[in-house]
Amino acid sequence: MNEFFSMSGYGAYVWPAFALGFGVVIVNLVMALNSLSSAKQEARRRLQMNAPGNGP
Amino acid sequence: MATWTWFHRFGSPPWVYGFARRWTPWIGGAAGLSMLVALYGGLVLAPDDYQQKDAFRMVYVHAPTAWLSMMVYTTMAVAAAVGLIWRMKVAHAAAAACAPVGAWFTVAALGTGMLWGKPMWGAYWVWDPRLTAELVLLFLYFGYMGLRAGIEDQAKADKASAVLAVVGVVNIPIIKYSVEWWNSLHQTPTVMKMGKPAMDTAMLWPLLLMFLAFALYFAAVLLIRLRAELLRRERNASWIREVLT
Repeated sequence: MNEFFSMSGYGAYVWPAFALGFGVVIVNLVMALNSLSSAKQEARRRLQMNAPGNGP
Repeated sequence: MATWTWFHRFGSPPWVYGFARRWTPWIGGAAGLSMLVALYGGLVLAPDDYQQKDAFRMVYVHAPTAWLSMMVYTTMAVAAAVGLIWRMKVAHAAAAACAPVGAWFTVAALGTGMLWGKPMWGAYWVWDPRLTAELVLLFLYFGYMGLRAGIEDQAKADKASAVLAVVGVVNIPIIKYSVEWWNSLHQTPTVMKMGKPAMDTAMLWPLLLMFLAFALYFAAVLLIRLRAELLRRERNASWIREVLT
């Protein structure tokens, strides 16, 4: 197991590289989902404001 | 005929929104699953390299992120060109949705490359043609996003940023062929050499699967961001009421 984590002595480079690459994978997914949910909220607010009865 | 039907459908925001909503979970699920299998294959099953030992395993994160940084840019430029030529709003929205994803993956490609460069070349950074061109790619993404953010009028922002995206695409072949055109410290492609794979099968399949996983992942994230873009752009359209209720 230790051998696996040491990566023949290159662990200090291999693991940060994987953490960075897959960190970006996760961050991008979360950012996209956040952007979608805030766009939905905005659109819902707008729909409520323009709902029949509220308009001119 | 069939192509035109498709083209027209992709020009229709409500159709694209529905399509994106239906397909995202499937594409995203396939991406996640293949990523996990490829990670296991690359980190555990693949044998170590005779020269680089276990350091070569960084290929499983560096090559897919670098490839995606270019693939996303190409997608963005094609979408921008379609938007310019056919004045298709959905295409401009897709191009805008690509930019942040591409910029992040360029950062990942540069960062993972630096971490691989240090033990192999002795330096985190060298002003090598490929590294420099990849850095230019990052600035192109920043320029594209900055230009969009700086122009208030949506149609003008779409047009100006699309021109930048299309002109900047010239950098993509420069990145790709830099290792062949110039004497570069960066190694040449390992997947194919002289039409044959230059890697052992046990090393190769996790890499190919990782490429597939990243392509699917990009498709899923793009579809999510595209929905957000469409909701913001089409805020006064009647179809929004239907999809949100």
